[in-house]
Amino acid sequence: MRERFAVSPTPMLWFRRALLALAVAALVAWTVFPFFWILLTSLKQPLDVIAAPPKIVFTPTAENYGALFIGQQRGLYASARPDFLRFFFNSIVISCGAVGLSLLAGIPASYALARYNFRFKEHLAFLFLSFRFAPFITFLIPLYILFQQTGLYNTYSGLILAYQLISLPFTVWMLRSFFMEIPLEVEEAAKIDGCSWWGVLTRIILPLSLPGMAVTLILGFMFCWNAFNYPLMLAGRQTFPVTVGAIQFISYEQVLWGQMAAASLVAVVPQLILSLFVQKYIVRGLTMGAIR
Amino acid sequence: MGTQRAPARRREAWLPYLLLAPGLLLLVGMLYPFFLGAYYSLTSYFLQYPHLFRFVWFDNYGKLLQDPLFGISLRFTIGYATVAVALQVILGLGVALLLNSRIAGRGVLRATMLMPLMMPPVITALMWKIMMAATGSGILNYLLSWIGVGPVNWLGSVDFAALSILIIDTWGNLPFVSLILLGGLQSLPYEPYEAALVDGASRWNVFRYITLPLLKPFIVLAATFRVMDALRIFDVIYATTVGGPADATMNLHMRAFWQAFQWYSMGMGMAYAMVLLLLVFIASYVLMGYWKRAAEHTTV
Repeated sequence: MRERFAVSPTPMLWFRRALLALAVAALVAWTVFPFFWILLTSLKQPLDVIAAPPKIVFTPTAENYGALFIGQQRGLYASARPDFLRFFFNSIVISCGAVGLSLLAGIPASYALARYNFRFKEHLAFLFLSFRFAPFITFLIPLYILFQQTGLYNTYSGLILAYQLISLPFTVWMLRSFFMEIPLEVEEAAKIDGCSWWGVLTRIILPLSLPGMAVTLILGFMFCWNAFNYPLMLAGRQTFPVTVGAIQFISYEQVLWGQMAAASLVAVVPQLILSLFVQKYIVRGLTMGAIR
Repeated sequence: MGTQRAPARRREAWLPYLLLAPGLLLLVGMLYPFFLGAYYSLTSYFLQYPHLFRFVWFDNYGKLLQDPLFGISLRFTIGYATVAVALQVILGLGVALLLNSRIAGRGVLRATMLMPLMMPPVITALMWKIMMAATGSGILNYLLSWIGVGPVNWLGSVDFAALSILIIDTWGNLPFVSLILLGGLQSLPYEPYEAALVDGASRWNVFRYITLPLLKPFIVLAATFRVMDALRIFDVIYATTVGGPADATMNLHMRAFWQAFQWYSMGMGMAYAMVLLLLVFIASYVLMGYWKRAAEHTTV
């Protein structure tokens, strides 16, 4: 829009451009610097981490990453047990399980909410949505008690069930918004040609919404990956995901800064890679499909 | 004709419920713990003393009102959400305008903005915790010393802990607001701007009387989502201050967590949780209504 007002360069315009460039530089620095600094920290020896003033130039070491995965314990390195690999694996299992279950239940449900008219339809849809906004603690306390009583505490299946509070509302609303984008005419044409509702769903809707489902799957996986509150209390050492695993480097005696930095970076690698595939849909996902 | 189609239509009538069944089953599975929790808030439930379990009506809520930390945490919860969302919407609007202007590498900039967005909040907090170290090794204090500020005891002092949480939260969520508003800016119609150009309106007036009103539904939507998350912010606080120092960052969510999992007072914990839920419900009710009204007056 703004360029319509532009005329030949004047001092005022140059000033404005310089200001704009400065703002862009500040924004980039603000966004990228934390990543840069954590990368540096993760490559430092313990003594370099706590050096004052902070060191920019130092001899890099891979031992923090080594400690994370192999569990070195020599010299200056007091390491936590090398179970970070396990935490990573746990995150994958729980997130995949949660998203898979949500898709199984969510595909038919969201199709019904997108295409059929029935009593309490909008109420039901909003009931699903309300779980997105409810404070975690309202579910965490009773779930903790229930899980302790039923033996679901510290199990994958228990966590996958608890994660439904995150992934199911998202899946239902996201898929619903994708289903609603498919023109009704396509379905009606198929019905006229003799397709049953099952045929319509499996031969028309599912193939047409495959990209949407892939997006829902990936974003749902990422939201589950980010979860912290439920696994913090419902998982044990055997089932901790990376988010809970990363804070294990903080103990009463000390904080293993270097290893914590390495763990933080490793924990977000899947997020950074996956977000490349769904760039265009992240805002849509975060608003439960409200913004296309 | 009619007799032929009737069975088909009847089949159509129960079909949506059939399709919904698996989802509903999970939904009931989610509602059950919720109602159980609501019930627990009316009991004296201590995890280590099961024999004390009694139904006590609203005793927990009465005790809660007398707890000085209730007022503190309630005030912090509301105050934090207000300040954080106001700040993030204003800054987010600025960033959105910046991203919307014709600058080199806009695509790269937008992609960069996505990076903090998909970070687990707890990892974001840990990253900043490292940078906010109050010892001489903290990079943030080092950078500030260049302009003669500091050293600041970020997460360890009563004065700066809340500000530190705000900075961390803003780093993670500013892109969310910015990208929603950027999407809004890019969807605005051209006609009002052409009319304003013809009338010779100033930049500020164009922004104030055209852009801002047209953008309102997007602002309200972004604010709604942000308010909901700011009211229940937990991950960042847990990873940095755990509510301290001296309860300076204690919100209702953290307070409920302390009650339930530090002192195993499940009844009191649930009472706090229910108050927070009520707060979230009121906020969502108000904001949703506001959003609907804003969306009616403009085309989203």
